[in-house]
This record gives sequence, structure tokens and C-alpha cells, in this order.
Amino acid sequence: MKCEFCHKADAETAILLETDGEVKELFVCRNCAAAAEGAANKADGAHSASDPVGPPLPLMGMILDAAFEIVGRAMSMSDLTCPSCRITRNEYRKRSRLGCPACYEAFAKELDAAIFDLHRAQQHVGKAPQQAQADMRRRTIEEALSEAVRNQHFEEAIELRDRLRKLDAEKDGEKGQTA
Amino acid sequence: MISDVDHSVAEKRNRNVREDDIAMSCRVRLARNLAGERFPDWATEADRGRVFAAVSDALRVERPQVRVALIDGFDEQERDVLCESHLISKDLLGRPTGGGVAFESDKAYCVMINEEDHLRIQGFTHGLDMQKAWRTADELDTALEKHLKFAWSPQLGYLTACPSNVGTGLRAGAMLHLMGLRLLGEIEPVIRGLERMRLLVRGVCGEGSEAAGQIYQISNMDTLGTDESFIVSRIQRICAEVVRQEHNARVRLIRESPLVLVDCLARSLSVLQNARLLSTSEALEFLSAIRLGAALKLCTRLSVSDVDDMILVMQPGHLQKWHGVTMTSEERDEQRAFLLRGQMNGIRLKCGAVKAGR
Ligand SMILES: [Zn+2]
Ligand SMILES: [Zn+2]
Repeated sequence: MKCEFCHKADAETAILLETDGEVKELFVCRNCAAAAEGAANKADGAHSASDPVGPPLPLMGMILDAAFEIVGRAMSMSDLTCPSCRITRNEYRKRSRLGCPACYEAFAKELDAAIFDLHRAQQHVGKAPQQAQADMRRRTIEEALSEAVRNQHFEEAIELRDRLRKLDAEKDGEKGQTA
Repeated sequence: MISDVDHSVAEKRNRNVREDDIAMSCRVRLARNLAGERFPDWATEADRGRVFAAVSDALRVERPQVRVALIDGFDEQERDVLCESHLISKDLLGRPTGGGVAFESDKAYCVMINEEDHLRIQGFTHGLDMQKAWRTADELDTALEKHLKFAWSPQLGYLTACPSNVGTGLRAGAMLHLMGLRLLGEIEPVIRGLERMRLLVRGVCGEGSEAAGQIYQISNMDTLGTDESFIVSRIQRICAEVVRQEHNARVRLIRESPLVLVDCLARSLSVLQNARLLSTSEALEFLSAIRLGAALKLCTRLSVSDVDDMILVMQPGHLQKWHGVTMTSEERDEQRAFLLRGQMNGIRLKCGAVKAGR
């Protein structure tokens, strides 16, 4: 079988290629396999030069350390403490486990860079607890309501107020059912 | 009975290889934590007790058939059995008081309590039906959320003890048996290709890069930035592609290197039929080869699921539970060899023509 890239040399090995979200297997010669690997490493290098093959999970400690090192020095922080669980930045770094959910806010400046290095993303997409969804809907309406009042759009304000009341009524109704 | 196999028959057989022969099982897990509680690594014993109580109450309401228990409540063999069945992690066993486990008898789901996160909700399926495993975990998560307030933020999604799980908290993985690729020496480029696509590839058993028994767990690395169903279908699609590669490798093995295949099967079978002492990892290596032979229908009287059962019962916890006694490591090796000698008694290879033809 001939190489599926150059169609000259004999195919010796299979490689997996992902293009536009589609995975393809190609049988290629040794040279083309090496070239494909080089290209993939270069593409990865665009994101982080120190991490040519990509899988950072075992390297997580290092990524966190690096993030702390840079941000920590720039902000010349001594030993930041989470107000909720009271663990300090140094304690957290030692175990690379956060203390509590509130740590994400307490150490946000340092964590943001680390989280981006780990996931190459910064914004959650996907599932949210029902309660959080309801809270978010409510907050959106509340903000629109104060905006409407500020601009003296009273008809709109009344409509928004009624929607809030309806939400409250639904919530009470649910409570009545589950109780 | 067919005792001779020419290539076309073997290939026709191989076309009948079911996906399940290569994809052994799937797992989708969701990491969840209770708002306002310390993560298990930093929690006090009282904290962990409170979390365990809240989670088990919610589970009993939503899943009346559930069995919830503290890890402390199991003896050592039972713990090993849970671990060897891939229901719980070794990590959970090494943790102080407050770690727990919840599952039903069909074992379609299992919740680990106070492992690295407060909850690890896991859905399981056989084969490569990852969507089903996802639905199981998703439904249980939605049900529990009625009783438990999970830590969540609009920017980072579900908040986890380790930032590497933040966002969806979802890890979707399949256990694949890649013995054909291994025998053809093609496993390395496949793994490198997967890692380049930011997938985690790990040996299911044993330590280090070489997966004992050529059983690999392939799962997503990133948990933030793409939604759950996208992650699940991407991993499923990529795993299906790896299954296809392994399938191709098996076809080529029969066509191009039948002697390599038969030699491997024959050696493995004779060790299993004759050895007097077998360690777990040794036994796994040989059973893995026999599993390939069974999938290719080259062993008399042996199905793939027979071999899967043997892979399970020969492990330390299962072996001791089966005998009802605690054994030293050397006693286990002896009992393991004895057990497998019995199981392999009278099994023969149906590949005379493959062998003789070359
Ligand atoms: Zn080429
Ligand atoms: Zn904290």
C-alpha cells in the first residue's frame, strides 16, 4: 500500500488526523508521519511553546506553579487567604487542590491564567443547576426593571414587576408541592 | 466443527467482530460539590460526615433501590472487589473516614462520595454507548440537584476541588482492548495521535505508559468551554474511530502476519494451561491475548465475555472473596494459576491452516 499523503513511498504506519472536527485515519510513510507530527506540534506550540505534545494534566502542578509565580510576583502578594475556608495560597499550592468553592473567587487572579492553560477556555458552556438558571433569569429581570424605572418607562416596569411576582408565585407553588 | 481456517473464513469471522469485543465499556462521570462546604481534601471529619449524610439522604429519596455505604463499612476484600469492578477509584480507598459509595444492583451508576470532590456521579454502559452512560449520569445529577445546592458559577460552571475538572465537571471515557494494534506494533502512533487531539490515554490496569493487557481508557482532557453533549459525542466519535483502527489491525494481522497472531495465542494458552504461579499482571497479559483469540473465534468453546469474567475473578479481591479467605500474595498467585488452568482446560486453537499455510 502506498502512502496516502505523497503516494510515493510505502505506507508504514497509521496516523489519526482531526480536521474540522472530523477524525480520519491515514496510512502514511515514515517521512510523512514525521512531517504530520511536526506540523501538529507547531500548531500546539502556538498556544504554549513549553508544551509540545499537549497533555497537561500530569503537568498541572507546574502550570499552576507558573501561574502563581508570575501573577504572585507581579502583585507582590504575601500569602493570600480564602475568606471562606481560610486556606492560604501556599497551602493550596502544596496540594494543588482548592479549599472550597469560594477559593475560585479568592484566588481568581492567579487561577484564571492556570484555568486557561488547562482548558484553553475561560467561559463555561453547558449545564447549569435549575436553581442557578432561575436566579439568573430573575437577576436579568431585576436589572431590566431598575433600568426601566430609571428611564421612567413605567408601563415596561409594571410588566417586569408582574413577571417577578409570577416567578415568586411559581416558587412558592413548588415549595407547597414538595413540602 | 471447523478445525481449519483459511484466510477468507477468518476474515469473514473478523467482519462479525462486534464493537463490544473491542470497546469493553464506557463511563461518564460528573464532578459535583456542595456550595459552602470545604472540598474533601481540606474538610474536617465532621465536614465530611455532614456531606455524606446530605448526599445519602438525597440519593435515598431519588433512588429508593440505592445501596449507600461508608467505605469504612466494607472489609478489605469487598473494597478491592469494588475497585477491580471499576465502580470506585483507588483514590477513594486511600481516604480518611467519610468516603462513601452508592450504587444499585444493576450497577448502571455509581456515586463516589467524598473522593476528590464531594460527589462523583458515574454512569456506565457496556460497549460504546456513551450517550446512554451520559443520560444516566445527567438524570441522576438533575434529580440530586433538587435536594443539594451544587457550587456553580456563571463563568466557571461547576466548581471542583481541582481546576482541571472545572466547568462541566465531565469526564467521558471508553475502555478499549487494543491487542491487534499492539501485535502489529502500531499502538504508539495511535496514542500519540489521540494525545495530540487533547485526549487522555491511560492503561486501565498497571502503572506507567505500557497498559497491562493492552486495555486503554481514552477520555477527554478539557472540561471547560464546550457543552456536555458536544464532549460526549466527540469522545464517542473518536473512540469509534479507534475501534475501527483496531478492527483493521485485526484484519491485517490475519491476512499479513498470521504467524505472529498464532504464536502469541499458542504461547499464551500454554502458559495459562500449565503455569503453577501467576501474578495478576502476567495473567492479564496472557488473558488479553486469549481475549483477542476469542474475538476472532480462534479458540474452541471460549467467548469474549468468558474471558472478561476470568479477567475479573483472577484479580486479588475477587479471588479471595471467591475462596472466602485472605491469602498472601504467593498463595494468590498459586490459586490464580490453579483457577485459570481449570478454566483453560481442554481449550484448543482453531487455526491449523493459518499456521500451516505460512
Ligand atoms: Zn508519504
Ligand atoms: Zn476557600
